[in-house]
Amino acid sequence: MHIPDGYLAPAVSLALAIPTVPVWAVATQEVKKVLNNRTVPLLAIFSALSFTVMMFNVPVPGGTTAHAVGGTLIAVVLGPWAAAIAVSTALILQALFFGDGGVLAIFANCLNMGIILPFVGYGMYRVLAAGSPLLSTRRAVAAGIGAYAGITVAALAVGIELGIEPVLFSQNGHALYSPYGLREAIPAMVIAHAFGASIVEGLVTGLGVAYLQRRHPEYLTSLSRIFAPDATSNGVAAQRPLWQLVGAAIAGAVAVLAIVGLVEGGGDPGRLFGADWSKVDWPSVATMLLVTAVMGAVLLPATYLLLPRGVKRIGTAFAALAVFAPLGLIAPGFAYGEGNTEDVNAAFGYVPSGLRDLSGVFSAPLSGYNVPLPFFSDASAPLWHAAIGYEIAGIVGMLAAGGVVYAIARILRRGGSTDPLPEGAQP
Amino acid sequence: MTTAAGVIAPGPARDGRIGWLEQTLGGITESLERAIFTERHARSDGWLQRRDPRIKMVAALTAIVAASLTSSLAGLALLYGATLGAAKASRVPFGFFVRRVWLGIPFFAGIVVVPAIFFVPGPRVFDLALGPAHLAPSWNGLAGAAIFVSRVGVSVSLAILLVVTTPWADVLKSLRALKVPQVFVLVLSMTYRYLFLFLHTANGILLARKSRIVGRTSGGEQRRWITGTMGNLMSRAFKMSNDVYAAMLARGFNGEVRTFGTYRVRPTDILALGGTVIVAAGAVLIGRILP
Repeated sequence: MHIPDGYLAPAVSLALAIPTVPVWAVATQEVKKVLNNRTVPLLAIFSALSFTVMMFNVPVPGGTTAHAVGGTLIAVVLGPWAAAIAVSTALILQALFFGDGGVLAIFANCLNMGIILPFVGYGMYRVLAAGSPLLSTRRAVAAGIGAYAGITVAALAVGIELGIEPVLFSQNGHALYSPYGLREAIPAMVIAHAFGASIVEGLVTGLGVAYLQRRHPEYLTSLSRIFAPDATSNGVAAQRPLWQLVGAAIAGAVAVLAIVGLVEGGGDPGRLFGADWSKVDWPSVATMLLVTAVMGAVLLPATYLLLPRGVKRIGTAFAALAVFAPLGLIAPGFAYGEGNTEDVNAAFGYVPSGLRDLSGVFSAPLSGYNVPLPFFSDASAPLWHAAIGYEIAGIVGMLAAGGVVYAIARILRRGGSTDPLPEGAQP
Repeated sequence: MTTAAGVIAPGPARDGRIGWLEQTLGGITESLERAIFTERHARSDGWLQRRDPRIKMVAALTAIVAASLTSSLAGLALLYGATLGAAKASRVPFGFFVRRVWLGIPFFAGIVVVPAIFFVPGPRVFDLALGPAHLAPSWNGLAGAAIFVSRVGVSVSLAILLVVTTPWADVLKSLRALKVPQVFVLVLSMTYRYLFLFLHTANGILLARKSRIVGRTSGGEQRRWITGTMGNLMSRAFKMSNDVYAAMLARGFNGEVRTFGTYRVRPTDILALGGTVIVAAGAVLIGRILP
């Protein structure tokens, strides 16, 4: 996973310093804050440890050997900031002294293995181990899974860094640097690691944490107090705030979509997320956003005030969904198609006869999720007209669905169900 | 460490399972030997060894950037010629310097680049039909591969030449001249110091185990042992860092780091740097003129 010099264009090598150097600066401050003068020897010795760990070759299934990085193991004990410095230092030494990894590529290697790896690994570990006792098996397993995820994501980062080279830097049809595009580089890196080095890293970390739990539990208790003060040590369930989970899910989804889109579009930033953004008419989008914002500002407080107390929050949330749903109209024809018959025809060469027969049977009153009036659904109507139609359709749909569910629930309840619904829950 | 190699060397892996142990030990021993070998060249009296380490660092970085920027074989050849000349003048054994780079590079960078030779579109060198498959490398693909492999080789040569002719302490001190924060430099130098201690420790643990094993061990057993060893090393690391901190306190460490810098830039150093910049610019410009 050590990228040598010559694989990355100098512009990319140096651009990767932009995320790397500030993280180093913050990491130094963070570690100093808890350790002050103790920082230097502790970090130095853990860097040496990381270096030594990278020297161990462990047999993996398939008959080859791979080495671990140990970043997640260090992060579990010392915290991710300290792990970032320790692994980065080891990498710099390797590049300067042993020729392992390039000199110009130091920033890239430190970003992948020294920053992405411990932070992803540690984040995963914290999510999976949340609230479990410090000496439980779950923590060891969580550390192992975290380490597996951390090094695999780092491999993905390497794949992206190598894969954008031929997109950005080519001359006379031949690549100047690493010759493989995203389509080849990402699977090559991720698959090779997912079935090799990642397994090693996961095993080493999981078993290493298990060893520490058994033999040196003091390192997991006293130090994690210092480095991760919010970690629980006594099994009291810590509730992870909902916004963190939701935020992580959204960020993850956006990242995955961005990567898939980059691969699909061959790295063309104009086709980010798999959509052709040059087709978007931005002024009308701006009008639509303005209209949507105004409608949201009026409708949402009104909904909150008008709804009965029991369904206030959930009702407002659904209303918000309906109001902001037209934002989806911005996205131009996605690469995977919208599923109309032409797309199906293009993809499969024929339209299933059942589909063709059925499509005329039922014409929905609000077909196409819009109101069938010229103002809303006329082909030449501005985007914000369509957006309002979309919202009306959404709200009507929700009311209808809610009404049906409510009616069914009333009927069922009258049917003799004796256990009352829990406090706060609404049918 | 020579004794360790001597003990391990006679028994080649018979079942292929214990092989990784020797491999690991071999890797550690080799890197130790290499490290000591490199320090020996750094102490000999040559042209690069007499240059100011800060100037040498800047010059090496300039040349590596130039190697990355140039897109022609001629530019890379010019850079490599200059590198070889500097190595010759610095009494770095020629065979060692050339072999160490070019035995490894084609192997790693070359294997990576081979498929690209066949996929790049363009006129073909030859077209060998093997049933349904066509083996047809393109000129464009070959040119790209040649430039890629040479660039990796030249970059690695430059980095090796810098490290081989500069004592490690000087490399670190010259990092200060590049405005790397003092804390980082201190951590780097201490890491370097304890790295050797750890490698010796790991070497000792491996040897102790090796000498107590009769027969074969399973893969699972080996993995358990290796993770136990890592945990053990980690606990030693904690103890050691406490001891080192106590020792630093006892010698008056109060968080401030002071070094004495007695480097002096001489006119010849400036000339050497100027020469490097000219060669580097030349290498990049050749790429612009000759495609």
